[in-house]
Amino acid sequence: MKLLTCPLNGPRNISEFTYGGEYHPMPDPVHTDSRQWAEHVFFHDNAAGVVTEWWCHNASSFWFLAERNTISDEVIRTFEASEIFNQRIDFIAASTPEGSS
Amino acid sequence: MSSIMPTEVPRRSQLSRRHIELGAEFERSGYLLLVKDYGSQTEATQAQILGLVDLSTLPRTGFKGAGAPDWAATQALNLPQQPNTCTVQTDGSLVAKLSHQELLILSDLNGKSASIERLNNTPVDPQTYSLPRADSHCWLAITGSQAAEMFSKICAVDLRSHKFANGEIAQTSVAKANSIVIRNDQGSTHCFYILTDVSSAEFLWDCLLDAMVEYDGRPVGVAALRALV
Repeated sequence: MKLLTCPLNGPRNISEFTYGGEYHPMPDPVHTDSRQWAEHVFFHDNAAGVVTEWWCHNASSFWFLAERNTISDEVIRTFEASEIFNQRIDFIAASTPEGSS
Repeated sequence: MSSIMPTEVPRRSQLSRRHIELGAEFERSGYLLLVKDYGSQTEATQAQILGLVDLSTLPRTGFKGAGAPDWAATQALNLPQQPNTCTVQTDGSLVAKLSHQELLILSDLNGKSASIERLNNTPVDPQTYSLPRADSHCWLAITGSQAAEMFSKICAVDLRSHKFANGEIAQTSVAKANSIVIRNDQGSTHCFYILTDVSSAEFLWDCLLDAMVEYDGRPVGVAALRALV
């Protein structure tokens, strides 16, 4: 049985988790154009080596991050998202409507 | 046939058809309808061995959000210290801490909870969000000395008493259904509450009864559960 350690619930069968994609730092929401947003949201690096990924523990709907080696499939560590997301980010609408320049 | 039927009240359990098939006698308290018993004289004893109770119509609520811990601390609750633990309140309600920012509150077995009534009528802070659980989840109870043994067939978390203390919570898969399992012993009898997505209620009920067969487990009414205390 393959196990993954949820930071909130402890070791659980991998079938209790859903993969949520690679983690990338979010670009500055005020100074980011559509191309950069698209790359952030839709494009993955698919790197060989240690990557940081989103995972969700289904039974508790708890999202967290995992550092995993994509070559050996070894999970180096899992940690709460609050380690990175520790302050509120307010989205301020761009002063110039998109496409009007 | 019961003197009162689930169709006569505005709110009924998703399992009411199962209860009718089993010959349940219902009891009514206000708009609440619970299975009082299934006509057996030995249900109190059965609950000490292995019993399954449907508590789905009892009140419950929840709160979640970055502001939830600070807001909850001002609500005169005896809050659990650690996530995945619960505490019983002076009014009989049970407060379960599902994460640092999420609380689940269950009423007592009579459907009374001053805490739930108060919290549902209290304005929440901007970063605290109401998370009603009465319609989203069914609520079952498994009681008796054989309960942990039975769980080992359908749940990967070790729920034996020396591994899973009274007041602990496991959020995990039970018969492949995402569930919240809360150990809340009734007197000296082991008791596990299971809260699962309401759409899985009949599936889980059937799975539990199937898993209970080899231990002579049977459904019991809420009267047998109350008799344990």
